[in-house]
Amino acid sequence: MSAIGELRTLRRTGRGRLSPAQKEAEAKERRRDSRAALVFLAPWLVGLFGITVGPVLASLYLAFTDYNLLQDPNFVGLENVQRMLGDERLGRSLAATLTYVVVSVPIQLVVALALAYLLDRGIRGLAFYRSVLYLPSLLGASVAIAVLWRLVFGGEGLVNAFLGLFGITGPAWVAEPETALGTLIVLHVWTFGAPMVIFLAGLRQIPRQYYDAAATDGANRWQQLRSITLPLLSPIIFFNLVLGLIGTFQSFTQAYIVSNGSGGPTDSTLFFSLYLYQEGFAGFRMGYASALAWLLLLIIGAFTALNFWASKYWVFYDD
Amino acid sequence: MERPARRTVLVGSALTLVLGLAGCGIAPDPADAELSDGEVTLSITWWGADARHQATLDAIELFEKEHPRITVEPTYSDWSGYWDRLATTAAAADMPDVVQFDQLYLSSYAGRGALLDLDAVPQFLDASSLPENVLASGTVDGRLYAVPIGVAGNGVVLNTSLFEKYGVPVPDTDTWTWDDFDAAAEAISEASGGEAYGVSPFGWESFSLGIFARQRGDELFDAEGDVAIDPDTLAAYWQQELDWIESGAAPDAAHLSEQQGLPLDQGDTVLGRTAMSFQPGGLFTAIAAAAPDFDYEIVDWPTDPGTPPGFQYPKPSMYWAASSQSEHPAEAALLIDFLVNDPEVAQAFGTERGIPANEQFQADLEPTLDEAGRKALTFTEQVTDRSGNAPPITPNGASEVDTMLSRYNQRVQFGDLTPEQAADAFIEELRSAVEAAG
Amino acid sequence: MTTETLATPDPTIDPAAEPGDRPLTVTQRRRRPRILAHVGLILVAVVMLYPLLWMVTSSLRPNDQIFTHPGLFVDTFDLSHYPDGWNALSKPFGSYLLNSVVVVLGSVVGNLVSCSMAAYAFARLKFRAKTVAFAAMLLTIMLPVHVLIIPQYVLFAQLGWINTYLPLIVPKLLATDAFFVFLMVQFVRGIPRELDEAARIDGAGHARIFLQVILPLMVPALATTTIFTFIWTWNDFFSQLIFVTDPDLYTVPVALRQFIDAQSQSDFGALFAMSVVSLVPVFLVFLFGQRFLLRGIATTGGK
Repeated sequence: MSAIGELRTLRRTGRGRLSPAQKEAEAKERRRDSRAALVFLAPWLVGLFGITVGPVLASLYLAFTDYNLLQDPNFVGLENVQRMLGDERLGRSLAATLTYVVVSVPIQLVVALALAYLLDRGIRGLAFYRSVLYLPSLLGASVAIAVLWRLVFGGEGLVNAFLGLFGITGPAWVAEPETALGTLIVLHVWTFGAPMVIFLAGLRQIPRQYYDAAATDGANRWQQLRSITLPLLSPIIFFNLVLGLIGTFQSFTQAYIVSNGSGGPTDSTLFFSLYLYQEGFAGFRMGYASALAWLLLLIIGAFTALNFWASKYWVFYDD
Repeated sequence: MERPARRTVLVGSALTLVLGLAGCGIAPDPADAELSDGEVTLSITWWGADARHQATLDAIELFEKEHPRITVEPTYSDWSGYWDRLATTAAAADMPDVVQFDQLYLSSYAGRGALLDLDAVPQFLDASSLPENVLASGTVDGRLYAVPIGVAGNGVVLNTSLFEKYGVPVPDTDTWTWDDFDAAAEAISEASGGEAYGVSPFGWESFSLGIFARQRGDELFDAEGDVAIDPDTLAAYWQQELDWIESGAAPDAAHLSEQQGLPLDQGDTVLGRTAMSFQPGGLFTAIAAAAPDFDYEIVDWPTDPGTPPGFQYPKPSMYWAASSQSEHPAEAALLIDFLVNDPEVAQAFGTERGIPANEQFQADLEPTLDEAGRKALTFTEQVTDRSGNAPPITPNGASEVDTMLSRYNQRVQFGDLTPEQAADAFIEELRSAVEAAG
Repeated sequence: MTTETLATPDPTIDPAAEPGDRPLTVTQRRRRPRILAHVGLILVAVVMLYPLLWMVTSSLRPNDQIFTHPGLFVDTFDLSHYPDGWNALSKPFGSYLLNSVVVVLGSVVGNLVSCSMAAYAFARLKFRAKTVAFAAMLLTIMLPVHVLIIPQYVLFAQLGWINTYLPLIVPKLLATDAFFVFLMVQFVRGIPRELDEAARIDGAGHARIFLQVILPLMVPALATTTIFTFIWTWNDFFSQLIFVTDPDLYTVPVALRQFIDAQSQSDFGALFAMSVVSLVPVFLVFLFGQRFLLRGIATTGGK
C-alpha cells in the first residue's frame, strides 16, 4: 500500500514548473525521442502503409458499392446503409453477438485471473496445472472440437447423461435455439488459457519488494491483493479486457464449426463476422459485407474508446 | 506539408487494389483460342477428401503423358475452404484455369462472366458423349459453361439391416405409395422403441425440394431464372416433415436440428439411427463404405396415383468448368475434354465423383464395381430411364438457396413460423436475392 | 468488480477451524487450503483434459466407432491410423509439419523483433501523433479478415507472393500484429522508469536502453508472444489456405482438412491421429516456453 503511495507522490511531484533551461532540455529530448521513434516504428510504419492501409481503404470504398466479387464494383452511395436498417438478420446477429460478448468476456477474464493468481502462488505441480489448463487453447477451433462439442452437448451427450443420473432430462443443448449460444459461451470461457498465461506473466513482473514492504506494514494477503497485485496488474487486466472485447466481437470460427457455418439453429449463433462472411462469400454481396464490417469496426471502436476513457480511473501505470 | 502527398499515396494504393479486382480485367474472346506452340502450365482445382485427390492426381498424370508440352498444377481442399478460395482467386482475376463446380454456384459464376463459354471451343472440347438433358444442366442462358462429371437422382436410402432387426418387412419399393412409406416409417420407430427412427425427413436442401415439387408438377425455378415455386408446394414440403415428427416416424425438432448439415460420417443414416432417408444418389457409395455393418438399398421415391411420371432426372453431382480469364483457354478445354472422355480417367475416377454421366463409361465400369457401386449404378440407370426434362439450374444470386431453406426449415421445426408463413417469407427472400443479382 | 471472486482461502484465517476442534499446528493450518486448491485444480484439469484425451482415444478407434462413443474407454487398440494417416496424403505428413515450422519460425522471429521495437516507441518515447498512431494500430485489428482477404490477395498477387510463405511471414516482420504490440506496451509500462533513467545517466541511448534494460526485463512478455504466435500461426487455417495453393507447400491445418470432406467419405481416424501428432510440437513449445514466463523482474534481479 505504502509503496504504491510513494510512487504516486513521486510522479506528482515530478511535474512542477519548469525553468527555461529545463524547457530547452526537454525540447532537445523530444527531438531525440522523435528521431528514435521513427527508427523503432520503422517496421510498423512500412507495414501500415505497405500492407495494412491499402486493403483497409479498399474495403471502406467497397462498403459504398454493390461489389459482387466477380464484376466491377458500382458506387451506390448509402444503399448498403439503407439495407442495414431493414435487415432482420442483422438485428438477430447483433443481438447474438452482444449477448456473447457481454457474457463471455467478463466470465473468461475472472476465471483466467483467478486461476493465474492461484497458480502464481508457487503451488506444487505448478507447471503441470498450467499446461493442463492451457490445453484447450492449444487445440484451437479444430474439427475435433466441433465433433466433440456435439458429443458433449448433444441431446444424447455427456452433459445430459450426467443430468440423467439425477433424473433430469436435458435438452439438446447445441440444437435448441435457446441454449445453443450458451454452449458457445461455455466453449469460449473454456479456452481461457491465453488470458491466463498473460495474467501469469503480468503477475511475475510485479516486483517482490512491494510485497515485502507491505508485509512489513502488516498487510494480510487480501490487502496485498487489493492494494498491490490488482493495481500493478491493472495494465494487464486492461489489455486482456480490450483485446478480449475486440477478439470476441469478431468471433467467427467457433460458431462456424459448431453450427456448420449456418449460425443456426434459427440464427441463434449468427455472430456478426459469420453473418458478413455469409453475405460476402456465400451470397456474393461483398459490398454489403464490407459495409457490415465497417459497422462492426464502429461498434468495436466505440467500446474500445469507452474502455480507454474509463481506464483513467482504474488502470495504474508505473511510468 | 507532406500530408496531401501521403494521402494521395494512400488513396492511390487502395485504388490499385480495387482495380486489381476481377471485373476490371477484360476476358479474351474464347473463339480466338488456339493451342500455343510452347510449354504451357495449366492450373486445376477441385474439392474433396483424400481418395478423390489421389484419383485426380492419377488422371492428371495420364493427361501430362499424352500432352508432354502441358504441365498441370493441381490444388485442392475440402468443400467449405474450396469456395472461399475460389471466390478470392476469382475476385483477384487469378482463378485456376480448370475448376470443379457445383450447380449451386454455376450460374452465379457464369452469369457474371467468370467462366469460359465452352460452346466457343468445340475444336478442343467435345461433350457429345453426354446425354442431351444432362448437358442441359451445364448451360446458362443457352451456352455450355460446365461439363457434368457424374450424375444421380435423389433416392430413398433404406437401411435394410434395420428393417430386419426390428422385424418390419421392407415395402415393395417398385410400387410403393406415400402411405406405404409412412406406414413403414412409423412401424420402424415403434418397433425400435426409440433406438432408431423410420425416416430422416427432407426439409433443408433444394434437391429434395425440387423432386418434391416435380411430383406435384411444380418447379423451384423457371427457365428465366426466376423463383417459380408455388407457396403451397413449399408449405406442403414442410408440413410433410411436421407430420412425420408428429406421428413419431421422425425424431423431434432438436434432434433434426442437430443433424442438419452434419458431415455424412456423423449423420443418422451412417450411424444406423434411421431406416430411410432422402439422399442424392452420388452419396450412396460413400454411405455404404462408411457403415460396413449395415446393408443399404437406394430406390426411387414413393408415388401416388396422380403423380406425374418423369419427376426424376439425372442431376449432375459436379462439373468441370474453365476460367474466362484463362491465358490458355484451348489447353483448358483440352484438359476438360480429356477428363470427361478418356476411358482411363473413367477407370481412375470410378464412382468417386458419382456415376459417370457418360453412358459408355457406366458400362465400362460395371464389372469393376463393388455391390454398393452396382446398386448406385442401377438406381442411376433407372432414374435416367424414367427421367423427365432437366429443370433449370440454380440461377445467379440463388447460391444460398440451401442455407436459406435450412434456416426457414428450422424455424418451422421449432414452431417459430407455420409452414405457410415460412413459404411466403422464403420465397420473398430468395426472390430478392435473385433480383439483386440481376 | 473482479476482486470478490479472487478471494482464495486465506492461510491465516481458516474457515474450517471450528471452536471445538483440536488446535491445528501451523503447518496443518497452511496445508488444508492448499489441498482444497489442489482438489479444485484437479477437477478443473479433468474438464480441461477431456477433449484431448477423447481425441487421442478416437485416433485409436476404428472409424465407424468414433461418432458413437463420447467416452474415453477404448476396447480395441488400433494404432493403424497413425502410419496410415502419416502416409495417406500426397506427401508424408512430416513434410507438412516442416512447412508449418518454417512459417511459424518466421512469424515468431518477426513478431518478437518488430512488435517489441514498436512497443518501446509507444511506451517510452514522446513523439508527435502518438495517440493517433496508437489508435490507428488498434483500428487495424478491428476489421474482420473476410473483407480484407480479397484486397490483400490482390496486393500479394501484384507483389508476386501468392504460393509462397511471404504473405504469411512478412506482415509479422512489419508489426501488423497489434495484439502483441499492445501487449508489450503494457509490459514495458510496468517496468519502473527509474531503470531507464539510471541507464541514461550512464550515457546510454535508446538503442542501448531497449536492448540492455527493457528487453531483459520483458522476457515474460516475449515468452508470451513466442508461445502465442507459435500456437496461433500453427492453427491458423484461413490465410494459409488462401495464400498457399500448391499442395506441396500446404501447412498442417490445411493438410489436416484433406482427410475430410462433408460430401464424401472421410477418414476421421487419420484426421485425429495426425491432429494428435501435430499437437506435439505445440505442446513442447508451450512446456519449454513457459519456463520463461517465470523470469519476471523478481528473478532477474530488478533494481
